[in-house]
Amino acid sequence: MTLYNTLKELCLCPSVSGREQKIREKLSAMVAPFCDELRTDALGSLIAVKKGNGGGKKIMLAAHMDEIGLIVNYIEDNGMLRVAPIGWFSFEASAFTRVVSERGVHGALVPDTRTKPEDFPKSEFFYIDIGAKNRKQAEAKVAIGDFFVGTPVLDKLIGTRVCGRPLDDRIGCAVVLGVAEMLADEKLENDVYYVFSVQEEFGRKGALTSAFAIQPDIALCFDVTGTGDTPGAVPMACRLGDGAAIKVRDASVICDENVVRAICDVAKECNIKHQREVLLKGGTDTSSLQMAGAGAAVGAISIPTRSIHSGVEICDLADAECCIKLAAEYIKRA
Amino acid sequence: MKRLNIDRQQLKSFIFSLCAIPSVSGFEKRAHNDICALVGKDFDEIRKDGVGNLTLIKRCGKENAPRILIDTHLDEIGLLVREVCEGGFLRVLPLGGIDVSIMQASDVIIYGKQTLRGVICSTPPHLKKDDELPEPFEVIIDTGLSEKQAKELIEVGTPVGFAPVYSELLNDKIMGKSFDDKACAACAIWAVANTPREAICGDVYVQLSAVEETNAIGGAASAVFAADPDYAMVIDVNLARVPDTKSFETVNMDEGVSISMCAATHRRLTLDTAELCKQKELDHVLVAAPDSTGTNATSINLVGLGVPVVDVGLPLASMHTYNEVISLKDAETLTSLVAEFICDKEIAAKYKREEELI
Repeated sequence: MTLYNTLKELCLCPSVSGREQKIREKLSAMVAPFCDELRTDALGSLIAVKKGNGGGKKIMLAAHMDEIGLIVNYIEDNGMLRVAPIGWFSFEASAFTRVVSERGVHGALVPDTRTKPEDFPKSEFFYIDIGAKNRKQAEAKVAIGDFFVGTPVLDKLIGTRVCGRPLDDRIGCAVVLGVAEMLADEKLENDVYYVFSVQEEFGRKGALTSAFAIQPDIALCFDVTGTGDTPGAVPMACRLGDGAAIKVRDASVICDENVVRAICDVAKECNIKHQREVLLKGGTDTSSLQMAGAGAAVGAISIPTRSIHSGVEICDLADAECCIKLAAEYIKRA
Repeated sequence: MKRLNIDRQQLKSFIFSLCAIPSVSGFEKRAHNDICALVGKDFDEIRKDGVGNLTLIKRCGKENAPRILIDTHLDEIGLLVREVCEGGFLRVLPLGGIDVSIMQASDVIIYGKQTLRGVICSTPPHLKKDDELPEPFEVIIDTGLSEKQAKELIEVGTPVGFAPVYSELLNDKIMGKSFDDKACAACAIWAVANTPREAICGDVYVQLSAVEETNAIGGAASAVFAADPDYAMVIDVNLARVPDTKSFETVNMDEGVSISMCAATHRRLTLDTAELCKQKELDHVLVAAPDSTGTNATSINLVGLGVPVVDVGLPLASMHTYNEVISLKDAETLTSLVAEFICDKEIAAKYKREEELI
């Protein structure tokens, strides 16, 4: 399966934080051929283990399989749904877009007509129109506590670039799958844990408990990162198409220096296109991997992505291929 | 009688030596070897973990003894290179809460492939509108290098620290960088290293923890999880009173250590520590920190089965600048308190965890 097809299959399977069952089933089937053991922990994270020859280290790779979304908290008499955000949902970026519920109900996320532009980021000005004539009709399709996500979509742009949602973090999941496939037939000293975590967008929870249980020596996170290459962007030395982004710091973590150096060295040695990443805003599971239990040395290989948390996230699959190759080569040497 | 004879000049030199070892938040592992070389011989075991925490262990030699943890943090505030720009300038972002208003024109050290000097660019008054200051994310460093040299020597993600310059004021006050929190670490290490093994009531873990300044939980939690102590003391700096600060938010310098009364710390251990200060005639003041101490105590309290923890503060003026000021008298009091704390039989008996609880 090509990376694009894998990614598309993952993107088109809506799984908001706290409701990851569908994507977990899909990922289970996809990773099963590449690992020796497969389990799901109490929070719902999927853990696939490739056993080493014994006596080696425990290396954990994590990508989160949840996505941001909305939860219905009130149904108006006129059948409109009021919603609250799950995770860092951008109402501004999602005004006038299509959304879909976990039960497959389609709707439009619309701001109150009187909303001033400066109020666009606020959830209280938004409602979902599912076409219901009144509350009774709405209640037949939707209950309080139902989850909605932005309509999943993925399309090819020019070259190897793709646009859609939620690239955050299905592209990370696709990279971890790619690593698992690449290492499937390798005999490794170290145990490798491929973890697809839950509830990253809702407080970086899943990776914390799975890292606590595994207590890895080295843990790597695979997630999207911002770029500084769009008009008016905050200066950032990270560009789409410039290869795997090796994280030094984001708002939640400063990566282990030795891990960063080792990954950079592998990238140079194997001639894999790479760049160093310092992300100003936004955190990742990397911090949970670092702080769980007695702690771990952490690093992260990020996929540069534009317009994160919108319905038009853009990344370059050539960068993702670099991430896969880099992680696999690093693990062979770790 | 004082348990420890503290030579103030020696303590001062030791504080300077430890604080001058660079340990920018997130890059603590670079400091481990230098610290071990400085103090390693006085401890039985040294642990380094994945997060960057360094734990110095001195055993008491008794069976079934409690584990006593003294936490200080190893990391210091600093900057991180996020872009090497045209003309060899560096665009950086702060690691930890740095006040941008004190940064302009300060000397910095860039810990790149070579250790390099730099200066933070300042906008001359001629070009400044009103009192404008750069946003923290817009701080630029002048390296004096050409763009080509800068790109060769400095990568994105390189840590930058303030230049270590130490000097003395009158009346036993000292100033320089990173007293937050390595001055406290120095006092703790000094106390434990110089207390005879027979006198201590448990195995003592002096923890120099990582990423206190940059991580909401602090690296301390993982090292405490591994150490699993019976009880702990967290030592961090506290805000010293200067004119125009609010009296209820600050403590007087030269009046000893502060002890926090906080919902997130252990009330009984806190009062027992204050009582210990009274008995041993160590200057101290109780301060109210209602829901959080703003130190590692808040997270350590909740690690594992929960750890009884007391939060102790060393008054420090001009916090998070390259010219922090502390009093050696207070440092001496802190050192004595640590020595008394680890030797106190009553506290050891009271807080040693009952095994059946586990």
